[in-house]
Amino acid sequence: MNDLDALQRDALAAIEAAEHLDDLDEVRVRFTGKRSELSAIQKGMGELDPEERKARGQALNAFRQAFQAAFDARHEQLQGAALRERLESERLDLTLPPRQVPPGRPHLLTQVEQEMLDVFIGMGFRVAEGPEAESGSYNFDLLNIEPDHPARQEMDTIYVDGFDDVVLRTHTSPVQSRVMTTTQPPIAVVCPGRTYRADAVDATHSPVFSQIEGLYVAEDVTMAHLRGTLLAFARAMFGADRKIRLRPSFFPFTEPSAEVDVSFDGPGGNHGWLEILGAGMVDPNVLTFCGIDPDRYSGFAFGIGIERVAMLRHQVRDIRELFEADARFLARF
Amino acid sequence: MKLPLSWLRELVDLDLDVDELAAVMSLSGLEVEDVTRPGAGASGIRTARVLHWEPHPDADKLRFVRLTGEGGDGEVEVVCGAANFDVGDVVVHALPGGFVPGVAGPDGSKGLTLDARRIRGVTSQGMIASAKELEVGDDHTGILVLDPDTPLGASLDDLIPVGDPVIEIAVQADRGDHLSILGVARDLAAILDTEWRVPQVPTEPDGSSVPVSLRTDACSAFHTWVLDDVQVGGSPLWMRQRLAQCGMRPIDVAVDVTNLVMLELGQPLHAFDLDRVRGPALTVREAEGAERLTTLDGQQRDLVAGDLVIDDAERAVSLAGVMGGGDTEVSSATRRILLEGAVWEPTTIRATSRRLGLTSEASNRFERGVDPQGAGRAVARAAGLLQDLAGARATGSGAAFTEPEPAWAGRPTVTLDTGRVRRTLALELSDADQVGLLERAGAAVEATDGGMRSVTPPSWRRDLRRPADLTEEIVRLHGYDQVPEVMPALPTTGGRTAAQQLERDARQLALAAGFHEAKTRPFVGDDAIDGVVPSDGRVRLANPLAQDAAAMRPSLVEGLLQAVRHNHGQGRPGVALVELGRCFRPVQDPLAAALDAVIGDGWRWTDPDGQPIPVQPQVLALAAQGLKLGDGWLDVDSRWSVGDLIAVFDRIARQLSPPDDDAWDLTRVAIERDGYHPGRTASLRLRGQEIGVVGQLHPEESDRRDLPEPVVVGELLLEPFLAAVPADGHPPVRARTLVRHPAMTVDVALVAEDAVAYATLEQAVRDGAGPLLDELWWFDEYRGAQVGEGRRSVAMRLRLQDPDRQLTDDDAERTIDAIAEAAEVVGATLRR
Repeated sequence: MNDLDALQRDALAAIEAAEHLDDLDEVRVRFTGKRSELSAIQKGMGELDPEERKARGQALNAFRQAFQAAFDARHEQLQGAALRERLESERLDLTLPPRQVPPGRPHLLTQVEQEMLDVFIGMGFRVAEGPEAESGSYNFDLLNIEPDHPARQEMDTIYVDGFDDVVLRTHTSPVQSRVMTTTQPPIAVVCPGRTYRADAVDATHSPVFSQIEGLYVAEDVTMAHLRGTLLAFARAMFGADRKIRLRPSFFPFTEPSAEVDVSFDGPGGNHGWLEILGAGMVDPNVLTFCGIDPDRYSGFAFGIGIERVAMLRHQVRDIRELFEADARFLARF
Repeated sequence: MKLPLSWLRELVDLDLDVDELAAVMSLSGLEVEDVTRPGAGASGIRTARVLHWEPHPDADKLRFVRLTGEGGDGEVEVVCGAANFDVGDVVVHALPGGFVPGVAGPDGSKGLTLDARRIRGVTSQGMIASAKELEVGDDHTGILVLDPDTPLGASLDDLIPVGDPVIEIAVQADRGDHLSILGVARDLAAILDTEWRVPQVPTEPDGSSVPVSLRTDACSAFHTWVLDDVQVGGSPLWMRQRLAQCGMRPIDVAVDVTNLVMLELGQPLHAFDLDRVRGPALTVREAEGAERLTTLDGQQRDLVAGDLVIDDAERAVSLAGVMGGGDTEVSSATRRILLEGAVWEPTTIRATSRRLGLTSEASNRFERGVDPQGAGRAVARAAGLLQDLAGARATGSGAAFTEPEPAWAGRPTVTLDTGRVRRTLALELSDADQVGLLERAGAAVEATDGGMRSVTPPSWRRDLRRPADLTEEIVRLHGYDQVPEVMPALPTTGGRTAAQQLERDARQLALAAGFHEAKTRPFVGDDAIDGVVPSDGRVRLANPLAQDAAAMRPSLVEGLLQAVRHNHGQGRPGVALVELGRCFRPVQDPLAAALDAVIGDGWRWTDPDGQPIPVQPQVLALAAQGLKLGDGWLDVDSRWSVGDLIAVFDRIARQLSPPDDDAWDLTRVAIERDGYHPGRTASLRLRGQEIGVVGQLHPEESDRRDLPEPVVVGELLLEPFLAAVPADGHPPVRARTLVRHPAMTVDVALVAEDAVAYATLEQAVRDGAGPLLDELWWFDEYRGAQVGEGRRSVAMRLRLQDPDRQLTDDDAERTIDAIAEAAEVVGATLRR
């Protein structure tokens, strides 16, 4: 019997001494494997008489139970330690920025344009578009801008060579002419896009700029509707406490016509008005030219410079920054 | 138009100070651009007589002058650099301690406070001032020499309103009447509901003037006065100040008076030296072909039929409404003057002015329309001033009119529906209110049968021709701020078009891949790099802003490459840009033909008559160069490559196409193109037509642009996708039954000559694998001894599945055998 007791003592000591799961497994093989002392003892059991064998069997069971219990306990200990060690070794500094290309940003003008469009879409306006190199008929004639009207000269038009009457559109209003000549009221469209003037480039001028023009033609459209629409727009873009102010002006395609200012309150009690757009009631000539009965329908139209709104709202001081594609500028917004 | 406040006050009653007035004007259609106060702050400045002068002992160009102000302060000594005066002249003397507004101070500030100082050994008690130094003109070549009758010792303030505010307004295209003091005064009277008046003019003399014959409808009235005994000298200080306030330069009293009256009344006038007019008789006619006239500016002008001239008995002596002729110009020797004031048809004057590139103060007013009733008064006003200021004696006057009055000069009555005005403005303005406002504007209003109003606008309001014009006038005078704010309830459903949604999707995909959106100016010069479907076709500009911007971009690539260059120049280690926009090509162009072949010709725009205009399809372009992340990363994958661009274009094509329609997948075909790397450039094709290009810049092209390699660029025409999408968008994507049986993975490797494109190998594998194939992707490309020189092995992993059963090893073997067969067809072998 002493041999088993000694074995058990040795085995439990070995289990306790195992530092790693591998060592522990070695202990298991050494004490309970095929070539272990235990195995030899088991093999020798056949030679014992039944009484002895029974007692030996019980002793063996006791040994196995003691071994297994010690083994399991140690295994659990070592497994936990190993896991902790692994987790510790896998520690990452998650304050390191990930090596991923960050998404690009839409251009400031795109952001402002889309935001403005969304305001008008919410009111019920549909978005319409047209060509940038445009027939003079759509750009001027149908909009009541006669060939030798001073306004036509003042628009500093860029003309396209090789065509009878094709210009780089001076505003996006020709989209309105295209819509009105093909659709009957009610019409409610906003027309975003690029426009052109023969302006030399400086901090406040660009030969290329962009506009959103709006048009609403239906029965009983009034100047009060124009004011209401523009007020809602100004508040959506600049803040709920804004007011608008209309100043009499002249455009060939509207009558009455107005320049529209939005109020601002700056730091230090600095407040006043900023001009943001031009607007008016659609000139009856325009309706007639486009095949709409001016006695039955009336409408309003407005044109907003996207650059101007973007520059005012985001304090861009030089319009050239909008077109030089400097990544620092592009990523900023 | 610049409006001196003191002058305005002569013609209209104003209770407001200049700031209040400017505010009212801006809200009433007189847009104030600036308010200045030339001469403001001037002090210690008085008139003095020159008693004696002698050259400065130590400086040739300086004079040592003794002055007296005769105000009890005796004589003073001043050093002066001018030479345009003599003993006895009355000049303007700024005393020590005085403030001279038009001289820069020592720190560059505006204005200078004088002190007595020594100039080359002589003490100067202040200075003798020029017009520019006093800000009553821009002449600084000599000092200001005043009328000899000017009282001595008088403060400048007592002679003229020093620092008088000048309000500058932007004149609207339809308000030619705002190009005069009187016109603005009349409008202010209407706006403020106050009184206006015209200056006093002398009565017409009894004698007759030069005979005038009108032979064209483009002149409705022609008024003349004859003045004898004229002495053409300088103008008085008050007149010089007014001209200067309005931005005009004094010449001599004859010219100055015509200019002053033009500014005051809006009617351009001309003064002929009557002794140089032959006949004397005048004919107003259209120019005949091949006529020449030397205008006052010394330029010889070739006239064409349609130009209007004033002819004496022998020749054209004036380009009517634009500029007088040199031969009959008034000079200091002139003794007899023929003053002329006529009314010309706006469109004719505009045509001549445009054709000759000659814009004058006169043409500017005539082409906007002067008051047809105002010419006679203006000529009389000028004659009166010349009587007062130049000793002139009026000996005759005359007027010729075209009968009947030409239509362009008429102011027809307008029938106004006051109810409609109320409806348009959403304002409860009674009929009486409306009539009152129109009468304030100078219109005559009568009630007609049927409840309408018959409105005759005043002669100076050429812009009031229709009910809409009257509506604007009513609301302008009533106040735009009186119109309520009402949100309309639109009867329409708003939204973007399906094509616009696709454009947004395309942009979003490029942004997600790390490209920043750029917007570049769409002009190019002649050396722009080719992009998609290159051609020499350009949409050229008739009046470009610069030679290197003479055409519209045929491709977006050039603009983006310049933007990449800008960023490299700013020291960026790398940049990736996307731009969406139109490219421009002539109507007949290979690019247009390619689009026609893909989507038909419905995408082209036309003019209202159906005639074609330049084609301008939507394009999405990408360009990238350098490192994807910050500086310092060394491995190859950290640089932008052609593959990055291809990935974006493929995603865009897939996103913008109808769902489950393989016909919209882009195919890539290796091509060579000028400026691009011959082995790293591909055409992107749809149904066999190129609709895009992607590649790396040729090393020489990168070098030419001073850009480090590699630079990758590409563009894709979005137009085919935008044109194909239905108005309500693509049909919804339908769900596919998910196969529940496990999928089987099979790897194959094909060996082929390098020249066999991957696309060909993949197609062979797909053909071989048949309907069991769910997905495949390549995962290895190998070159080396095992496959032989000039060959490569490409490994692909296939996922096979069958919705109805579990696949077995037999399926795998059959599939591999089929792939081996398909590979043979394209010249590849399956590695076993």
